Amino acid sequence: MSAISAGTEKTVGSQKTEKPEGAKKSLVIETNEVSFAYDGKKDVLKKISMQIFAQEVTAFIGPSGCGKSTLLRNFNRMNDLIPTAKITNGHISILGSDIFDPMVDVIELRKKVGMVFQKYNPFPKSIYENVAYGLRIAGENRKSVIDQAVEESLQLSGLWEEVKDRLDASGMGLSGGQQQRLCIARTIAVRPEIILMDEPCSALDPISTAKVEDLITQLKEKFTIVIVTHNMQQATRVSDRTAFFYLGSLIEMDDTTKLFTNPTQKETEDYISGRFG
Amino acid sequence: MATTTGNDTSKVPNAFKRKGIRVFGLGKAEFIKYFFGGNASLAIVVLILICVFLMIEAAGFLPGNRRGLEDYRKSGQEFVDFIRDEINQHTATTTKLSIAYYAEVNETSRHEDQLVGAFIQVRNAVQNDSGKVYEGLEQVIDRVDELKDDLEEAREEAAEAAEAASANAPADPNAVAANSPAAPESDEIKELERKIAAAEASVKEERKHYLTVAEALLKEESTWDLEQAGLHLGEEEKGKISEAVLFYLPDTEGDHPYISELKKISSDKKKVAAEEHADFKAVVDEFRAAVQPMRDFVSPLKDKAEENRALATSFLTAGARREALLASAKRVEDEAKKQDILAQAEEVNIKEPPYDKLTEIFYASIPQYHELSPAFLAASEAAMAKVPEKVSTDSARENLGMAKSEFKDLKKIGKKNDKRVDNWRHDRPVSMIGAFFSFLTGKDWVTNSSWHDSYGLLPLFTGSLLISLIALIVAIPFAVGAAVYVNQVAPFKEQSFIKPTIEFIEAIPSIVLGFFGILVLGTALRELSQVPYLSWVPGFPMSERLNILTAGLLLAFMAVPTIFTLAEDALNNVPATFTENSLALGASKIQTVFRVVVPTAVSGIMAAVLLGFGRVIGETMVVLLVAGNKIQIPDFSKGIGVVTEPAHTMTGIIAQELGEVSQGTIHWQALFMVGMVLFAISLIINFSAQQVLRRFQKI
Repeated sequence: MSAISAGTEKTVGSQKTEKPEGAKKSLVIETNEVSFAYDGKKDVLKKISMQIFAQEVTAFIGPSGCGKSTLLRNFNRMNDLIPTAKITNGHISILGSDIFDPMVDVIELRKKVGMVFQKYNPFPKSIYENVAYGLRIAGENRKSVIDQAVEESLQLSGLWEEVKDRLDASGMGLSGGQQQRLCIARTIAVRPEIILMDEPCSALDPISTAKVEDLITQLKEKFTIVIVTHNMQQATRVSDRTAFFYLGSLIEMDDTTKLFTNPTQKETEDYISGRFG
Repeated sequence: MATTTGNDTSKVPNAFKRKGIRVFGLGKAEFIKYFFGGNASLAIVVLILICVFLMIEAAGFLPGNRRGLEDYRKSGQEFVDFIRDEINQHTATTTKLSIAYYAEVNETSRHEDQLVGAFIQVRNAVQNDSGKVYEGLEQVIDRVDELKDDLEEAREEAAEAAEAASANAPADPNAVAANSPAAPESDEIKELERKIAAAEASVKEERKHYLTVAEALLKEESTWDLEQAGLHLGEEEKGKISEAVLFYLPDTEGDHPYISELKKISSDKKKVAAEEHADFKAVVDEFRAAVQPMRDFVSPLKDKAEENRALATSFLTAGARREALLASAKRVEDEAKKQDILAQAEEVNIKEPPYDKLTEIFYASIPQYHELSPAFLAASEAAMAKVPEKVSTDSARENLGMAKSEFKDLKKIGKKNDKRVDNWRHDRPVSMIGAFFSFLTGKDWVTNSSWHDSYGLLPLFTGSLLISLIALIVAIPFAVGAAVYVNQVAPFKEQSFIKPTIEFIEAIPSIVLGFFGILVLGTALRELSQVPYLSWVPGFPMSERLNILTAGLLLAFMAVPTIFTLAEDALNNVPATFTENSLALGASKIQTVFRVVVPTAVSGIMAAVLLGFGRVIGETMVVLLVAGNKIQIPDFSKGIGVVTEPAHTMTGIIAQELGEVSQGTIHWQALFMVGMVLFAISLIINFSAQQVLRRFQKI
């Protein structure tokens, strides 16, 4: 808990944005032989070990039910909502701390590790209040601070120009793509280190998808992004590294270009060439 | 069949032809459709029928009420009531003054009176708790008395017989010896004496028995449970009271010295206090006397008005009576009788009474009123001014305060009457709207009165509203809190226990709840209210066991399942993704519940509350049993304490009176009007709940 809440200074922006094979990037998420079971018995993740680096977009691909979303939801412990679910083996460390340590405050973890869900879902509040929500629950009451954070977040998410005249309007009155970008703005307003995206574009039309993908590319300058996607083109478009999952195991993880052009594993090749999945 | 599709196809049967039997061109599917459609529309038809039925039954009310109000005016009763208002208000003031005075006088002897009260309470407790022992003692003592009476009688008879015998003796000395009547009679006497001795022995036995039981009881703590009287007795007083209690047996005559001493001290002290407060008494008497001229003035007017009203009422029914006589005359065959009935019919006065003439007396009395009333008010004011400012008891202070405010109202009425009396016209018509408003805003619901029946909704409406409000105020936190807990916090096991349990409450028959309300809740609340250190609570101690508060609390219990179920549904309808999103942003569970889930469900919760309101305002059985059924606007001068007053409700009055009034009378129609008001309230509540929910569904 201590490391998560205080130990990490913002390294955002100070990092160089070079190609992954260049200078060594700092390690943000590391999983070590992680197994996980929803019912506490039958593992749906099998001994997964991987490393995710800062200022990169990491894509998780794989057929339905392969465990990619499950792993993603473990990074901010959303699986805690299911009473019987638990890690059966290994550990996950984020920013250098073991997040399943009993001393970890889940709330502090989630402030550092934000999440954007498949179904865009603004609260039934105004646009402004949606973005301000994370700050307000963290106890921020100063209007100037919130005003500034709301504007910054909306600008970062590319929504500012579209909604600046109607911040008091309901967030639910926006179009689907706008709502998803509002959810992203809501997430980045809390200033997390990592943003987890669980199929963020699957409910959007192609134009909105393009906008969100642009946004992801811009955001990686400031945040570490992990994105789960079914869409392999999307993975190639937005991600720096890609991890391929199959039946609960991590089959292969490599630079996106390398993985898609020259996979080392047969399953990967079969999947990306469209033979199954 | 299709004939125009082509040369070849016209010969071939249509491949897509409908199959199955058709009746009136309708197939099975259509019949099923119409069957269900018919069921659905039946509900609507019944609803419309109810509306129409209510309206038809209530239709005559407005003209009837207008007629009644007009008669009330024409007969001069309205005029008389102006003045009677003044007198009644004066009486109310006098009562308060009088209570204050007696509070002062009784204060000095309070200790003694309390001791006597405590003694009586303890004695009754002992006698009741001794079981049948005290009763048995009573019975044997009665038996002894009876036997003694018998003995007395027997002796008298014997004496008479002896006398008769001695009178006869000189004439026939032998007869005495031959008959010797004294001998068998003395046997009877002996027998009686023996019985008496036996009975007296058993009295002794029973008395001893009772005394042992009583002594044992007196040692028990519960016998001395005098908390309610606010008394704490010392050991010495306890001893004396115990002694006195044991002294009283069914055949005891006179008081125990301790009690008679207490009584004497009390009455002496009262005498002294009365002398001390003689001035106060004089003031009260003076105040009371001030109204006498007004009473004398109004009395003949009242008689005249009553007479006029009787004429008006008889005129109202004259036509019908005459018709009835004529009709019966037709059926009678005997010519003489027929003529007789026809003559009677002729005699029926169908002419409108000459109201102008009948009301002259009222107009004529106006100058006198203007003379009397100011004098009366001035005299009252003068007496009021002399009321002592400083009083020693709380009760007196309180009642004096109330007397002052009552007197203020009296002055207001006086001022109002000054104009009202002049402007009064017996023949001013009452409009339909006026008749309607006199129903909606009327402060009295008086029926079967010898003076004037009035049908005012206000006391019933206030009662219903107050009870419902209390029920809601109590039920909302419980129901919504439980819904939030069950839906958001409780583990599955608790959920599956709490939900059916709360929902079961709805299945309890309301009459059973009513029993519970009377026997348990009413008594418990009242006893609670009498705990001395709770007396600061407004309205405590409660004078009535059945009141608005008791009814409200019971109805709250009944409203909880309604509100709970609907509120829980509303919370359930909040998408789980809201919770997930909020949690992912670093919110705690509590923050998520109160900042996202409840605000999202708020309109659904509001609709739940509205429907809960509809549930309680329409509830009948519980309020009829528990609300106290006093048709009066509760006394709001008590502030919040008003909730400890008894009240009647709109639903209650219909249930209570509808069975007893004859169909078609104005009273009957008035009850249907009340029903219509209830109906309208329910409609409005349901409509608004739907509106609120519609907002909810947009989310």
